[in-house]
Amino acid sequence: MMSGTTRPVYLLESAVLNAAGNSAEALYGQAPTANALEFAPDRRGFPLSVPRLPTDRFDRKLQRSVEAQSLRLLHCAARLGPRLEALGLPPERVALTAAIPEVDAPSPSWEAVAAMRQQPDLWLAQWFANTPPLHSLILLNSSSMAYLAEALACRGPMAGYCGQEGAGLDALLEASHNIAEGRADAALVVSTSPNITPALFLRETELEEGTTPLVPGEGAAACLLGVEPAKSDTRNVRIVGYSRGFLSPTPAQADARQADPFARVLNQVLSCEHLSMSDLSAVWSDPDDALLRRAIDNYPVRPGSRPVVGALGASSLLTDLAYALAAPEFAAPVQTNYLLLLNRSYTGHLGALLLAVEPARRAP
Amino acid sequence: MHHEVLVTGYGLVAPGAMDASTLFRRIAQQGSGLRANPRFQRLGFINTAAGYIDEEQWARIHVATAKLPDITPPQVRLAEFVMLSALVSAGLTVDDFRHMKSGLFLGSNKFCANNRDFAVLCACLDFDGLFDLDRFLTEQAPTSHPFARRVDQQTHHLAALLGVADHVSTHADACAAGTVAIGTAFRSIQRGDIDIALCGAVELMASELPYYMFNSLGALCQAAEWPAAQQSRPFMRDRCGFVLSEGAALLVLESRQHAERRRASALGRVLGFAALCEAEKMTSSSRDGSKYQACMNAALADARCCPADIDHINTHGTSTQSNDSCEGKAVLSLFGPHLDRISLTANKSAIGHSLASSGAIEVVLSLLSLSEGVLLPTLNYRPEGAEFPELRFLSEAECAPIGTVLSNSFGFGGINSALVLGGA
Repeated sequence: MMSGTTRPVYLLESAVLNAAGNSAEALYGQAPTANALEFAPDRRGFPLSVPRLPTDRFDRKLQRSVEAQSLRLLHCAARLGPRLEALGLPPERVALTAAIPEVDAPSPSWEAVAAMRQQPDLWLAQWFANTPPLHSLILLNSSSMAYLAEALACRGPMAGYCGQEGAGLDALLEASHNIAEGRADAALVVSTSPNITPALFLRETELEEGTTPLVPGEGAAACLLGVEPAKSDTRNVRIVGYSRGFLSPTPAQADARQADPFARVLNQVLSCEHLSMSDLSAVWSDPDDALLRRAIDNYPVRPGSRPVVGALGASSLLTDLAYALAAPEFAAPVQTNYLLLLNRSYTGHLGALLLAVEPARRAP
Repeated sequence: MHHEVLVTGYGLVAPGAMDASTLFRRIAQQGSGLRANPRFQRLGFINTAAGYIDEEQWARIHVATAKLPDITPPQVRLAEFVMLSALVSAGLTVDDFRHMKSGLFLGSNKFCANNRDFAVLCACLDFDGLFDLDRFLTEQAPTSHPFARRVDQQTHHLAALLGVADHVSTHADACAAGTVAIGTAFRSIQRGDIDIALCGAVELMASELPYYMFNSLGALCQAAEWPAAQQSRPFMRDRCGFVLSEGAALLVLESRQHAERRRASALGRVLGFAALCEAEKMTSSSRDGSKYQACMNAALADARCCPADIDHINTHGTSTQSNDSCEGKAVLSLFGPHLDRISLTANKSAIGHSLASSGAIEVVLSLLSLSEGVLLPTLNYRPEGAEFPELRFLSEAECAPIGTVLSNSFGFGGINSALVLGGA
């Protein structure tokens, strides 16, 4: 949690890209419809067409050499460039953290399968031998981050996380700590969903029997954090605190201390500013999560972005963050509103993020 | 309040070594873990040199993890084996973590299907040359096919096994992932978020796909005619690429108060950490070494020490022209006036480059140098052929008490990291 002895951390701007469009407000508009997937007509999802990178920021070669999830990430995060540049900070004071998800793991294998399908006569070894180096390199998460770091001049602290929903919180908190503890004055936090490929569905064998498969979405989300709010803002969004936990999804391995893990996570995050549930203006989470409902004693929760644009994996938290902050009632607050985001990944990560949306004023 | 962070346990598996002291002794005696990889030989690779965990080692790992189902991915078995070693070293049991404010920080870059996996895939091509996914899935156990696996599978396995309830993260920072995982754990304890952490990295990438990836970049040693043990020669003028390797190392870190409460012995301390983004080039750093220098300097500042306080440097030292040139210049520039008393080592000369795991393994070897007072040689190093003769790399092990070590890891894509370690 953010300690009183550290510097405040403000959210300056968000950017999203998903089936609803490329603004958080679009998530409140006409909901997109999940489509049958080309490779599995009985399944639905929210796939996106590959965005075109702005050529004033990125080398043209990247458009054809970088795979889809990284293109979404770069395209989305680049929109924060003008705001970042307006801060006038030296690049060494700008941190970059990323949540780049599981597609990194089996995608090389899947690409090999795709290559076999397209050119079955070509030996696999030949195919790999002729793989351009640039293509090989984008298989590392840090490569996508490097393209972004170069385009947006980030040369401060850096960290990349790989995983599902939990990775988004890891990236956001690492960036917040870097600002709060003085290693950076601003931070770019970026995240992307996995590509919707057959590989994504093959992993569902990990889900418990009877679990309803998620409707996946493709997207990306990013935000810019700073040590002080901009003068022109009508509101200040401060990251007040966080808490996280892990609950093994295998019941036999969940132990007694984890009996009510959400309650522990919830108590920790509220204690950051000595709050109770009644002090909160709104809570965003999965209203169908029984564990969560029990922890918050049926306090009304608003659903996150998942029903609108599908499960976005590592980019879900930042998408939900943008979604929450785009709610019209918090656009120009007259008093402090505390907003809480709670999530639980199906692999077991629990996360709680507490924000204060305050009337605009200069940071102390 | 900042908590002091102690290392109270560690475990590792490296090519030809099942534990840290075996590896340390072997390197001290100038023994290499790099050999011709039989799998690479069978596949007809031009350069077959690699550091790999051999069948005898895997047999021991299987015995120690016999309770796991047969289909368990090797990364998970390896992670569990090393975790058990680290816990024993720290005087802990598997059940202890669940009663503590704990975290798990694991570096790993990707799960790569190997030749065996591809052979199965190829067997499922139909007469039209199309891949028959239904047949493939029918013939595979549900969780054994490569697409069911993830890069964070071992993280979740350990988290569930240990009952870690507070912080679980997977770090994908290329060759810096192990160091960043340790550094992040260090900061979490220092900050007071958790009391104890298991951290490090597990990486099995000495296989076909990474070979193609790195070879296509020209990053692997180009002198296939050299014996495997002589191919990794960091900081030598005739170096021409790294040798792919694999392994795992995990450390137990905890706050001094927590360690003292349970009367654990300290094996060393983590004093400082930095991870910086350089946004320079994908596979090379600033030619003058300034970006690496900035990272090392930031780690020193985090540890509240200065160049004069460092006794020994465990370099990233990959044996590529680009890395070693930049790192050498950075060390010269930052430590110039103190270089006559600073020794350096490049462990990858003996064990190759295990990517995410390399930083974690090197931290363990550095801690052993601190506790044993033995400085490790850099294999294949001859002062007369060195690019930076001013840097005191050792050709033979040397006994010398040291108090502070800087351990570097610089990753593809420009993620630079460094840890400052102290004796117990």
